[in-house]
Formats: sequence, C-alpha cells, structure tokens
Amino acid sequence: MKDIKIHVNDLSLYYGEKKALKEISMQIPANKVTALIGPSGCGKSTFLRCINRMNDLIPDVKITGEMLVEGVDIYDKNVDVVNIRKKIGMVFQKSNPFPKSIYENIAYGPKINGIKNKTELDEIVETSLRKAAIWDEIKDRLDDSALGLSGGQQQRLCIARTLAVSPDIILMDEPASALDPISTSKIEELVHELKEQYTIIIVTHNMQQAARTSDYTAFFYLGELIEMGKTNAIFTKPEQKQTEDYITGRFG
Amino acid sequence: MASHFEIELEKLKNIIEKIGVLAENQVKESVKALLSEPVSEGKEVKKVENKIDKLDVKIDEICQSIFALQQPVASDLRFIMSAMQISNEIERIGDLAISIIKKSKNIKDKHDLIVKFNIADLARQVEIVTIKTNECFLTRSENTIGEIFILNNTIKNDCDDAIHNIINEMKSNSKTVVSGTNLVIVLKHLERISEHCTNIAEYVYFMINAKIIKHEKFGEKKSDN
Repeated sequence: MKDIKIHVNDLSLYYGEKKALKEISMQIPANKVTALIGPSGCGKSTFLRCINRMNDLIPDVKITGEMLVEGVDIYDKNVDVVNIRKKIGMVFQKSNPFPKSIYENIAYGPKINGIKNKTELDEIVETSLRKAAIWDEIKDRLDDSALGLSGGQQQRLCIARTLAVSPDIILMDEPASALDPISTSKIEELVHELKEQYTIIIVTHNMQQAARTSDYTAFFYLGELIEMGKTNAIFTKPEQKQTEDYITGRFG
Repeated sequence: MASHFEIELEKLKNIIEKIGVLAENQVKESVKALLSEPVSEGKEVKKVENKIDKLDVKIDEICQSIFALQQPVASDLRFIMSAMQISNEIERIGDLAISIIKKSKNIKDKHDLIVKFNIADLARQVEIVTIKTNECFLTRSENTIGEIFILNNTIKNDCDDAIHNIINEMKSNSKTVVSGTNLVIVLKHLERISEHCTNIAEYVYFMINAKIIKHEKFGEKKSDN
C-alpha cells in the first residue's frame, strides 16, 4: 500500500461487557476508497464510528488500542475531539439536511469556523456543491429549503456540507442504501471523483457497490477483521474461506 | 437446501460433463475411422455434432444469465468464466473429430503409412488425453492436469516426427502424395485436439488456483504443479 492515512493497532471496543470489536489492526491508505463489508452486527459501522470518535456519545463504551490518524492517536487525552471531527467528515445512511436553505446548509460549518466574508462563503458553497456534483441541479434555488430536494439530491447536499469544512477523511455509512439506482450511481461516481482529494471509508451492505467503488475492501465478521486487501483480489481470489463464503453468498 | 444459484451452477457443470463425454466419443469414432475402415455412413456422428453445437449454445446462454442476474465473484466467477471457455474448446474438439472422419476416407493406402509410422499409438494417446481432460474437469485433480500437459508434449513431438517422416516418404514415392497429404492434415487435427485438451486443463487449473497459466511454456507449467 502507498501512503497510509490511518493506522489502527489492536483496537478493541466494548459496549459494557460485550466486546464488539476484537483487536482490529489495519492500515487505511490515503486518497483511496476503503470499503468495509460484513453481515449485520459484524462491527463495521461501530468501527467506522471509531474513526471520528462518534462512539464517545454512547454510554458504557470502552475503547482500547490505538487509532492513529496521520500519526496522532485520536483517543489520546490531549486531543481535541472537535478538531478531529473537523478533519473527518461523515455521511449517513439517511440524508439529514438541516431544516434550512440549501445555501445555509453548506455555509453553516464554515460560518461556525469563523468565516464571515460573504464572497468567501459564496465561493465555498459553490465549490462544495460542484464537488458533490449537484451544483447544476440546484444553483438557481439556493434559498429554497433543503428539505424540498429529492432523496438523492439531499444525500449529495450532505456530502457537499461535509466537503465545505475541508475534511481530509470522509466516512460514509451506507450512503446510497436508501436511494434509487440513478442516484446511487451518482453517489458512486462522486466517491470515485472525491478520492483524488480525500481518503474515503465506506460501509456498505451492497457487495457490488463495494466492488465498484472501492480500492481496498475489509471484511468484518463477529467483531473481527477477517481479511483486508485490494478489492480486485478480495472479489476474485479472497484468501480466507470466510470471506469467500460471504461474498459468494454461502454464509452460515 | 441448495440455493437457486447453486442449482444453476450444478446444471452448468452437468451440461459441461455431458458435452465433454459427447466430444470424447467423437474422438473415439474419429480414431476408429482413421485406424480401421469407417463402419457407418457417419449419420450418428453428424447427429452428435449437432447435439454438441446445441449444448455449446446452451452453456453460453446459462453463463450469460448467471452473469446478468447473479453477479458471480471469486470461485463462482472463475467457474463460469472457465465454463464458457471450456465449452468452446470442446466444441472445437468435436469439429476436428468430424474433420478427421471425413479426411480418413480420402487416405488411400492409409494402412501402410499408418503402420509404417506408428500412427495408431499416437491416435490412442490423443484418445487418452481427451478422457483425462473430462476426468480433470470432474475431479479437479491437479495430478491429472499435470499428466495432460506431459501427454500433450509427447503427442506434439510424435506428430512432428510422423509428419517429417511422411513428407520424406512422399518425396521418395510420389504415389503416396495424396494419402500422405491427407494424413498430415489428420495428424495436425489430432495435435490440435490435444492442444484444446491442454487449454481445458489450463482453465480447470485457473478454476482451482485462480492463476492464469495459458501461454506459459511447458517447463514453467510443469514446475508449477
């Protein structure tokens, strides 16, 4: 692998007594798309949420091991969680735009970060919407409510909102599972374009989506990382029998 | 309970087995036609050829539908990719066998040449290689694959020698030119059959090991096994 953005060393996560992630060690390459696959409850979403410390919000969660983002352990006491989340954006399964105008949805983050200059904000809004491949569709109605957009548009708006605060890493949790095939292919195409500038980690139940969009694939099962490798290798010649059984649909 | 998908895969495997046996019989018939006088008019052989063609098309249709509907990956993907190629190779083996049967009729004095240059042994080797090829698809035995590669090499060398000898014979005795030429063509067909069998063995190897070994030299292939 080339440049490594995230080093994960022996990371375990407990929900109370239950060990949901078991000594995960992996390296996530920069400017690549890494897909996390595995059956429901295997820990892939839990793992994704570890990367921007979203699990901090859940009571009784204990995490051991290291999660080094660009060499810095994000679970170190001295690390400011707000700074981490600024660098690591997240897109969820269900699009969740703010009940505000399209413009305000994008400008919200930059404004909180202290950008007040209207011209600068305009520019961020346009660039972010362009990068998220939605600008042409909505440029004439930036003042309309974001809630009036279609599901696929809302999801791309959320991606634009993530991009507006210039993250390095984008986490996506089933970003297209609630979308029709056309919107899905737009999101997938977008993921492909965004990896030039961002490191993307995507959780998906859709095996074909993992195969189409990612450079690397990691297969999780029962809280363990069973196998990680180049997507092409995982889908043509997986090394572990469990991976083979899962991707060929012969599980259990 | 086997899934719908697994039933489709099993069906595909059975058809390949079937088409393989048909082609194997065609090769047997062609060797018979070459070594002894043709027994029948060849109607049966023609019928079998049509059957092979139909099954070849059927295999393509099944593979197409699996690709479109099931998006196979890993070992399933390799099996279906191989299935398409293998059926193509088998169909060609069938065609070559037919062509040998036709050519055999034109070889006057053929027995002299056949006995003189030990063509019977060579033809039987080709028969064996087709049998082993069907076997290796079913058993996925890497030993059998290795045997096929070795046999193919022997057949190739024997064919070269026999053709060389026949040409010399034709040079010294012009009466043998017509049957000699036909026999050379038949030998080339036998060699091709063995070559198609080797290709099939290579696809079976790919199915098992996910490694493409076609176009590799014999020595590399052998050391790999």
